[in-house]
Amino acid sequence: MQKLSNLLPEGFHDSLPPHAEAASRLQRDVLDTLASHGYARVSPPLAEYEDVLANRMTGSAKSDLMRFVDPISQRTLALRPDITMQIGRIAATSLAGQARPLRLSYSGQVLKLRSGQLRPERSRLQIGAELIGTDSVIAASEIVFVAIEALEQAGVSGITVDFTMPDLIDILAAGPLPLNQAQIAEVRAELDMKDAGGLAEIGATGFLPLIEATGPFHKAMEKLRNFDSEGLLASRLDGIAEIAASIAGQANLTLDPTERHGFEYQSWFGFTLFAEGFVGALGRGGSYEIMDAQGQPESAVGFSLYPSPLIDAGFGAKAKELVFLPLGHDSTISKKLRSDGWRTAAALSDKDDAKAMGCTHILNGDKPEKL
Amino acid sequence: MAEPLIFAIPKGRILDDALPLLQQVGIVPEDGFFDKSNRSLKFATNQDHVWIIRVRAFDVATFVAHGAAQIGIVGSDVIEEFDYSELYAPVDLGIGRCRLSVAQPKDDAERIGNISHIRVATKYPNLTSRHFESQGIQAECVKLNGAMELAPSLGLSRHIVDLVESGNTLKANDLVETDRILDISGRLVVNRAAYKMRSAELTPMVQKFRELAERI
Repeated sequence: MQKLSNLLPEGFHDSLPPHAEAASRLQRDVLDTLASHGYARVSPPLAEYEDVLANRMTGSAKSDLMRFVDPISQRTLALRPDITMQIGRIAATSLAGQARPLRLSYSGQVLKLRSGQLRPERSRLQIGAELIGTDSVIAASEIVFVAIEALEQAGVSGITVDFTMPDLIDILAAGPLPLNQAQIAEVRAELDMKDAGGLAEIGATGFLPLIEATGPFHKAMEKLRNFDSEGLLASRLDGIAEIAASIAGQANLTLDPTERHGFEYQSWFGFTLFAEGFVGALGRGGSYEIMDAQGQPESAVGFSLYPSPLIDAGFGAKAKELVFLPLGHDSTISKKLRSDGWRTAAALSDKDDAKAMGCTHILNGDKPEKL
Repeated sequence: MAEPLIFAIPKGRILDDALPLLQQVGIVPEDGFFDKSNRSLKFATNQDHVWIIRVRAFDVATFVAHGAAQIGIVGSDVIEEFDYSELYAPVDLGIGRCRLSVAQPKDDAERIGNISHIRVATKYPNLTSRHFESQGIQAECVKLNGAMELAPSLGLSRHIVDLVESGNTLKANDLVETDRILDISGRLVVNRAAYKMRSAELTPMVQKFRELAERI
């Protein structure tokens, strides 16, 4: 007889104590901060019709959906790889009649079809907020501000905000540095790697200053302004400088005009969030467009956090004190302890071992005593 | 005290060219680094918080991509082979130049161009399959970690994909270069997240390397 394997599929794992608790605490803290800024919670479903979902996606992401056939409708369903497009659908349909700007928040698991060695998990927690109806500088500043505050409220410190310009290459290719479609793809691939040698090889040396205009915000901004001698990017740069000024002192600011990791659909402005204690991006956001029911674009800004790696790295895993309640204890006392913030674990038989249950204290009379 | 900065450099080919560059940007490894009998892998430098690790070229890319090392020097062959999204290569250092080429026995009549399937011995399975894929050829790669030149004569595969510097090794093994896949040079690589989170210290360091590379 074959032995049953209890392994989970590649890229999936159980979240155990204390990580699961840390994750839900972080989720709660972030959502509470979003709610305090007037972002109303929505909760879209795990799966949708594949064509509805794919219609609101761009680029290569479309082919990276986990699909299956719904035995009831006989139509293809897909598991959501990102909640943002579901928010777009809600804003364009159910909440199309609501006054703008519309502030929405969400939290849930998303599923990535592919994952790499660097980030092997395929099921990820996504928490975020979207501001629909405008992508003005004030709206973008609010989103960045709220994102930083939400992380701070959750206890994350050492935050770095990296600004980027997702549609930069398209603008340059249409103007001073002309490229055809195939060349755009090549230049983008080299810029993704910040590969100076590669750019030179394909003859796109005009883009080299963009690699140099990367780093601490003000210096990089200065280099970028020098690069933009014709003033083609001036309004965008002014906007980003204004957003940066609005959050000065709250986070470490950097600028990387060609950063494109995860910015497939954003327009003039994007940002990535990093935090001390984990190597890798914690979340990102930016401006983008939603298609309404008539196919007309509507501007929006928003951000999403993917905090799982931070939690797996041990963030927020507090060893809380746990009081053992012996059989026949006074339940009014234990109730009082819990309302004072203690956690309790009641004995179910006289064989229960307080230490083995992970208790730090034992209730003796009316007081917890250290074990 | 500042958080340690780990600089990864590869053993072998590029090392000798990389050391003078390091010295010129002001990083001098401790004496033990130059001692061939020293078995340590991590070395202190003249700067308190900068450490050097000496690992295999392929591992330089992996250490830096995972953020275990923040910065490093490695050949563009390795960068292209892994294609890690978290790896930046902001400076072409122009050291350790060579090329990645396809070779086969000089008396073998089978020529690429009229075949749909090919068996290749290589250390670079990803680059190799991508190269042949672009020509409409399905490449079945046999992953070797060295001595690719032996493969054709012993019947492991008729073709090999390997680094070629002068061509002498190929000649000595009765092989001819049939196609060039990639020109290679040593690159400065930086971890993406570290480049942002520690930009105050990494950006000037990258700039120093850039100025150095421009002078060469």
